Amino acid sequence: MSHVPSRQGLSALALTGVLALSLAACGGDDSGSDSDGPITIGTSLPLTGEFSQPGQAAEQGYQIWQDMVNESGGLLGRDVELIVKDDASNQNTIVADYNALIGQDEVDLLLGTFSSLLNLPASAVAEKNQMLYIEPAGGSPEIFSRGFQYLFFAQQATADRQGLVFADWVAGLPEDERPQTAAYPTLDDPFAAPVVEGAREALEAAGVETVYEETYAIDTRNFDTIVSAMKSADPDLVFHGAQFEDGVGMTRSMLKAGFAPDMFFQTNAPSFGDQFSEGVGADNTEGVFYAVSHHPDADTPGNAEFVRAYEEEYGGVVPEDAADAYAAGQVLQAAVEAVGSIEDQGALADWLRENEVQTILGPLSWDETGAPTGEFLIGQWQDGEAQIVLPEEASTAEITRFWTPGDAG
Amino acid sequence: MNELLQTLILGLLLGGVYALAASGLTLIFGVMRVINIAHGAFLILGAFVTYWLWDGFGVDPLLAIVLTTPIVFALGWVTYWVVVSPVRTAPMASTVLLTFGLALVLEGAMGEIWGNNSTAIRPAYGDESFTLGELFLPKAQVYGGLIAVLVLVLLWVVLTKTWLGRAIRAAATNPSSAELVGIKVAAVAALVFALGIAAAGAGGAITGVLYPFVPGSHYQWIARLLAIVVLGGLGSLNGAVLAALMFGLAETLTSAYVSPAWATAVPYAIVFAVLLIRPQGLLGTRLREDAVAA
Amino acid sequence: MTSTGTVEGTSQRFWTRIQPLWLGRALALVAAVLLIVYPLVDDDLYYQNMIILSLVFAIGASGLSIISGFTGYISLGQGAFIGLGGYTIGVLATRLPDSNIWLWVPISGLVSALVALLLGFVSLRSRGPSFVIITVAFLFLVQVIAVNWVSLTNGTAGMTLPLPTWDREIANWPFYYVLIGLLALQLLMTWWIRRTKLGMGLIAIREDETKAATIGISLPTQKIIAFMASALVVGMAGAVYGYYLTFIDPRGMFSILLSVQLVLSMLIGGKATLWGPVLGAFFIEWLNETANNDWGGGNTRLFLFGGLLVAVVIFLPKGILPAIESAIRWSRTRGKAGLVGARIGTGGSLASITDRVQLVDRSEIPDRAILEVKNLRKHFGGVKAVDGASFLVPEGSITGLIGPNGSGKTTIFNLIDDTIRADAGEIWLDGQRLDGLPSWERAHRGLGRTFQITRLFREMTVLENVVAVQRTFSLGQLGRVAVSGAEARSAEELLEYVGMRAFRDQKAHALSYGQQKMVELAQILMLDPKVILLDEPAGGINPVLIERMGEMIRELNSYGKTFLLVEHNMPFVLGLCDPIHVLARGRNMASGTPDQIQRDPAVIDAYLGDDFVLDEKVQP
Repeated sequence: MSHVPSRQGLSALALTGVLALSLAACGGDDSGSDSDGPITIGTSLPLTGEFSQPGQAAEQGYQIWQDMVNESGGLLGRDVELIVKDDASNQNTIVADYNALIGQDEVDLLLGTFSSLLNLPASAVAEKNQMLYIEPAGGSPEIFSRGFQYLFFAQQATADRQGLVFADWVAGLPEDERPQTAAYPTLDDPFAAPVVEGAREALEAAGVETVYEETYAIDTRNFDTIVSAMKSADPDLVFHGAQFEDGVGMTRSMLKAGFAPDMFFQTNAPSFGDQFSEGVGADNTEGVFYAVSHHPDADTPGNAEFVRAYEEEYGGVVPEDAADAYAAGQVLQAAVEAVGSIEDQGALADWLRENEVQTILGPLSWDETGAPTGEFLIGQWQDGEAQIVLPEEASTAEITRFWTPGDAG
Repeated sequence: MNELLQTLILGLLLGGVYALAASGLTLIFGVMRVINIAHGAFLILGAFVTYWLWDGFGVDPLLAIVLTTPIVFALGWVTYWVVVSPVRTAPMASTVLLTFGLALVLEGAMGEIWGNNSTAIRPAYGDESFTLGELFLPKAQVYGGLIAVLVLVLLWVVLTKTWLGRAIRAAATNPSSAELVGIKVAAVAALVFALGIAAAGAGGAITGVLYPFVPGSHYQWIARLLAIVVLGGLGSLNGAVLAALMFGLAETLTSAYVSPAWATAVPYAIVFAVLLIRPQGLLGTRLREDAVAA
Repeated sequence: MTSTGTVEGTSQRFWTRIQPLWLGRALALVAAVLLIVYPLVDDDLYYQNMIILSLVFAIGASGLSIISGFTGYISLGQGAFIGLGGYTIGVLATRLPDSNIWLWVPISGLVSALVALLLGFVSLRSRGPSFVIITVAFLFLVQVIAVNWVSLTNGTAGMTLPLPTWDREIANWPFYYVLIGLLALQLLMTWWIRRTKLGMGLIAIREDETKAATIGISLPTQKIIAFMASALVVGMAGAVYGYYLTFIDPRGMFSILLSVQLVLSMLIGGKATLWGPVLGAFFIEWLNETANNDWGGGNTRLFLFGGLLVAVVIFLPKGILPAIESAIRWSRTRGKAGLVGARIGTGGSLASITDRVQLVDRSEIPDRAILEVKNLRKHFGGVKAVDGASFLVPEGSITGLIGPNGSGKTTIFNLIDDTIRADAGEIWLDGQRLDGLPSWERAHRGLGRTFQITRLFREMTVLENVVAVQRTFSLGQLGRVAVSGAEARSAEELLEYVGMRAFRDQKAHALSYGQQKMVELAQILMLDPKVILLDEPAGGINPVLIERMGEMIRELNSYGKTFLLVEHNMPFVLGLCDPIHVLARGRNMASGTPDQIQRDPAVIDAYLGDDFVLDEKVQP
């Protein structure tokens, strides 16, 4: 008789114990939504970990939205209560979080999270449970290729189309002003890469020659070799697909190398306001282009109030992610108020597909996959401030062509 | 041609910093047979401490190494007595997990104290370069590389020329005999651990100026450092330096001539390949098998 | 005991009378039933999700236990096999969109096993710390390949799988139950491995790899099998996991934290136990979720996990289950005398072990050397440990090898069985050349060897130590059950012969030196070798045992076994051995009968000493 069986027995005992505990703990969760109580809205955000920066900004945006909605009478006459979980930028955790929100907290409505990598699995949970899922950030085209019925993106365009307005403008420049050559360094990221892809195709079609095209890995820290190679290729325009850290890193490397192409477009990082200008140096921001969904001075419904509320509560320039989160709240609000109830999430989804919602980002509307059909804004740093320069209807300043680092302007 | 020279120089500068960071790790393994998975976390801690000194008191970050290193040394010393010494004789799996747990605790602590947002140290010379003809050498990289070399030389001098160094090497080779000749092995172990951690802290001070960091950056660092140390031969300081230089060069050369996408991966492939042919690493030694299984 | 007991007394007796085996089985059954029934009675998504994730981790940790628990090779790359499973199902499902996705689950397991095979080959020469680091490098490498092989994997954007097409009410059920099935499969495999010679071999490798090789365990084959076994079902679980998430990307699938969670689960529950990894996985996942939801987010979770890791390593290094088991065993055996203090049995006779040990009629033994070494050389740096040694061992003899300390006797043994590889020279066994062959091949050809300082597998029982021996190699043989049945019976008979049968369930590390020597001898006999090398068989044991040892050697020899002894105990050697070779400074200096050796002036000068007198009474 060997000694293994007693160990088996003890382990099984402990296993039963754990199971019993967990089963016992899950009792008593039948608290349905009381029709006089608050409307609970659940979301999980990356408040820590890799995406903590935009995650925290998104939380701020949601908070402002909740406060403003409650101040003006609530949603359908009821107060709105946000339940925010932290998924630590981790996929398994966000799946568990949304399952908890739906299964345990039994929230009435959902709001999405930051980053395509997190929105992809989270939206699947929402879809499986037939709940509306409006995401503020996560524009990778992959998200919309699955035929989901309940998914909507609260920005003007998906990633592959975010640079198009800029590309069109470049294509429209007179021959002697148009850049002849372009370099396309990009982060290997499901968001940044499609932006660069889309822009590159448009620019090549307009006759701009591609002299450098490389993708670098996510954990790249050292940009000197990339910059060196680009410098040798001597492009007139650099179109850089980045998130935040690598955007700043690449810019600084370019400065160190004394490499300043005529025109410089970078995704994401330049939209981070003070953090960007501190990161690369305020003098060096002059003329940098970027794509953005929001501008604090835009004359869109609710924008002035939102910006004021944000500045009062948190101070500083409003980050784009906070604005996107607020806009997602606005979209949700519009759908609920139009349909008049929160019971039939399918009806909410149908309504959104057929209608346009006015948000602080401008008017938003969607196709049948949940992808938005609008145009992104193109921003540019001028005189140490971020301005909108394209499309002209929404612009707050006139567009200039050149990147002139070291110039306060 | 210029591009090649540029790439090589950048690679060596990078390798120098890697060498400083890895030296502590291989030293700790050599003397204590402990694989310190928390080494990357201590490196980032060094970066944060430097940031604190720079942001709070305006001290130049690279000069602040003089302050950062003792602070991290003290932290390493405390960590040894509280956490590591109880398991000094435990099997390797235990120490791997212990130090991994330590890394997580450090990550959480740094996140609590300094937040999870991207932090960067940006002294005035951070964006400037020395220009030699067509070459540009970023000042921060050059200063950092020089300081790394200086600290490494100091370390080497201590290890080979001083009595302390001899005691360390004796304790590493044969602890029981070292005790017999009057070397307090436990104290030496604590000293070595703290020294190794201090080296990591110094490395972190330099990398904090070169790259932005968050508490979670330690994963990438420890992966790199482990690969370097194994490539060089666990326990061999010379091996670690050699491997670190190879690593730095491999990264920059791949980035320049193959593709930036593979830049971070090729070094691992190299480690893999070398370990296939030479499991003990470049300068490591094989253990004799005929001894009784320890 | 009388029946006049208090209520307490009665219940105590009842408790100790219940077979732990049946109690354990009953509890396991209850737990399994609870698990199976749960989704039918409660549709709480949160807990269903937690259990699904826990099941994936349990399968992963259980698989890990085969390579890291049994075989002792700690791998931080186990998560890669879950990821590979996820990627296989992702690639196949997206390439063949009209297929039934569940079909791809077994294929994912095969792909994982194949990659494990590759990893096994690559890492064969690494041990200990190098191995851990190789597994980390492997994980990163796989992640990088997934990121860069865009045409296959869609790179960092990842792949999406379609949502379940079945009824929403039972959305999670297929995943849940398939995973339970896979866990059962994995546990069955782990349980079965533990009982077979394969499992014995793996644990032997963990305890003492070099020794394991000398008793016929083919190291590369077993390690690779262990690797593949640790990945096969895990890959299938990874496929189900990927399908459940509907999204597969490199960062999620190949994160190092996944591997760490698996190792932590295995260690906390108790590695090399059957249920330990399962328990650990459920506990850790529950802790993970609760820490995140109820105890405040990201940084708290880091503190918690990190602190837990540190605490477990310091205070509970063996894990929960073994700690409980030790505590129970301690409370049960408190105050009782340990078995190991008992005397060694008087031993059986050879007649009882005829089915295991081949006995040969002495008269039929040919007159030739069965073992011959020619010009063996081994230098350690400048030290010439063995410098051109040549001698032969006649078949059917008990040959002695003596010489001063440092003359190279043990080194020669090590060269003969390939514990150390010779620099030059030839070794012939029964007409076949041995040099160049690894230890296990030499064992299979009939070479058995004991060690001067006994090398048994400390954590294995005495019986397991003996059944771990592999006389020949075949895959079928590996699958043979070792803890009971024919193999165990043979082992018991051998243990009876050496007088250690009563100790069969004792762990080897609890034995005294003399007892260990006996067990080592039984191990060697299990090999049924042609030549038995004994390294100081009379060293460090009491006179009664020395006598018994001499008896056994004589008895075995009378049935045709050849012996080569290294010894310092002169009466023992001179009374037992013929011929005797004298070694000095790494080479053979004299050979002859005991009489000749005693009187050889060179031998007296080098070793015996002028005043050597053989005391008649002390002869065995």
